[in-house]
Amino acid sequence: MDVSKFIDAEKGLIKGEIFHSQEIYEEELEQVFARSWCFLAHDSMIPEPGDFMQNYIGEDPVLVVRQEDGSVKAFLNQCRHRGMRLCRADLGNAKNFMCSFHGWNYGIDGELINAPHSDQIYESLDPDVFRATQVRLANYKGFIFGTWDKTVADFEEYLGDFAWYFDAYVDRFEGGMEVVGVHKWVLPANWKFNAEQPSSDMYHGEVSHGSAFQVMVPLSAAGAPPPWAMEQLGKLSQPAGYQFTAPNGHGTGWFNGGMPLMDETILKWHQSTETEVSARLGADRFAIAGHANIFPTFMMLSNYTFRVTHPRGPDEMEIWAWSMAPKNAAAEVKEAIRLDLLRTFSPAGMFEQDDAVNWEEEQRIMRGHMARKKPLVYQQMLGRARYDADGLPGKTVPHVYAEEAARGMYQHYADLMSGKPWPDLEKLKKAREQRERAELAAAASPAPKAASGGSQ
Amino acid sequence: MNKPDKVTHLFKRPEHLAPVNVTMETAYEIEQFLYAEAELLDAWEFNDWLALMAADVHYWAPVRENRMAREAEQEMYPPGTAAHFDENLQMLGQRVARLYTHMSWSESPASRTRHLISNVRAHTTDKADEFQVQSSFHVYRTSSERHQDSVVGRRFDLLRRADNAYGFQIADRTVVFDMSMLLVKNLSSFY
Repeated sequence: MDVSKFIDAEKGLIKGEIFHSQEIYEEELEQVFARSWCFLAHDSMIPEPGDFMQNYIGEDPVLVVRQEDGSVKAFLNQCRHRGMRLCRADLGNAKNFMCSFHGWNYGIDGELINAPHSDQIYESLDPDVFRATQVRLANYKGFIFGTWDKTVADFEEYLGDFAWYFDAYVDRFEGGMEVVGVHKWVLPANWKFNAEQPSSDMYHGEVSHGSAFQVMVPLSAAGAPPPWAMEQLGKLSQPAGYQFTAPNGHGTGWFNGGMPLMDETILKWHQSTETEVSARLGADRFAIAGHANIFPTFMMLSNYTFRVTHPRGPDEMEIWAWSMAPKNAAAEVKEAIRLDLLRTFSPAGMFEQDDAVNWEEEQRIMRGHMARKKPLVYQQMLGRARYDADGLPGKTVPHVYAEEAARGMYQHYADLMSGKPWPDLEKLKKAREQRERAELAAAASPAPKAASGGSQ
Repeated sequence: MNKPDKVTHLFKRPEHLAPVNVTMETAYEIEQFLYAEAELLDAWEFNDWLALMAADVHYWAPVRENRMAREAEQEMYPPGTAAHFDENLQMLGQRVARLYTHMSWSESPASRTRHLISNVRAHTTDKADEFQVQSSFHVYRTSSERHQDSVVGRRFDLLRRADNAYGFQIADRTVVFDMSMLLVKNLSSFY
């Protein structure tokens, strides 16, 4: 499907049709979700043999199961016979999965073990026909991703330069991360709102979440915020930082010095980890702590909420959010992280509640003809992208309030929606990057009549 | 086979299932207290509502997920793990203060709620002035032009007699939402 008439990523103009159209939505399930790497589980969610959880790739339910040998398998949670949902629990431990319709019984690896009376009614139980549909898997530092697509690049290559930034979230500490909580809820809005925002939107925080910042600032007996809190809030009034975009639509952004933190326990712990994290990842990556999204819908924030957004029609999404904490952190630190997340970024959280209303109203208004006719403006830091600048791999812009990652995300979305096979897309993206690098090099080289230098 | 540990079933504890053992007068006082609390919430008198909380209040709402029958006792996440609320008095105070900033967009413009409280059952405890009280709630909400939703569940309270206008304080509250995945956009009220 050609959605380019709605998306002009170079000019930063995008029409609301892509958030509203049922026809586009149906195509997204095939072209976007079935062709991308999607988050399925973390090792700590299914630690023991037989442990399973259900997740989704788009609208397709997937069972992710720890095998006897410690490996992980994942398969479509659907009986091959009549398409019934094989397992109806969200999580648990199982020795096998029996379909509750006719009793077909599958192993934890998705192979059909038995169909009742099969010796009398089937010629054979050919595994190629009867096996549950398998997912191609990758395990990146404990985070398990899956795809149906056999032609998309291996996961690390799919991440590209984003891997360097992803590590600032998931490889920050020896021992990695572990799950400490979960929330699932439904929002009446298009899934792309919760892909675009974690990719590219630090800008909304000051206003969308103004109420939470107001009440969470601690006050001394004299009624004034302590110096440490003023310093944190200063990041909002004097915003400085970066945003990164990847050719495959991933994005991230951060304030210089990290996210403003209002919880003193967490702030002190965060500061106490600087030596360890800097030794592990380098001093430059200690500060990379903000918002991020792996296209299409695996998002994370520096407070260690990790979420996948599942599409449910053009005007509805499910958010599945896991609270995670460094596995080797002290118990009181893990507890502070768990409590901070449920009080801020959960359906009852003081930040999260307000995002819901913005997205609901944004979605509702897209029903209008004029609301979809005139393009929305995605032009922050337009024309300011550089490659491999300031020690940051890949394409960045030098401001924390930017829409480079949104433009990059929608460019990749349009690429995928075109239906071109992955090898062609990779060539296209390579050529695009080479052209951009050449243009930047030409602009930077001393021309005979150069009027001015860099516009930084 | 292990028998499911009934104690982990929040809504199946023996003390909750036991016949009510408070006097009619106490039962009436407790019911009227819960109705007054609901009235304060629906009237947006959140500071007065907050004043009903004991200084040591714990306001907790665990998350639940769908489990196979043999793991039913694990449906509810235990204390210290996944929860929608896990609040002390100070945190409840922050939530209330937020509603009056005029920038709490989930409640600005304000939603209209109706807290319907029913199935109240009370039991005595070891302490003469404290009662274990269960009640069901149906919070109906409308907001903006067309939004409406409902949140239904059951509460397990420890009420303590107090020298205030309504006669009790809430010393402990566990809110059990009936939904597993929340089919609402947010939980912007109190339950």
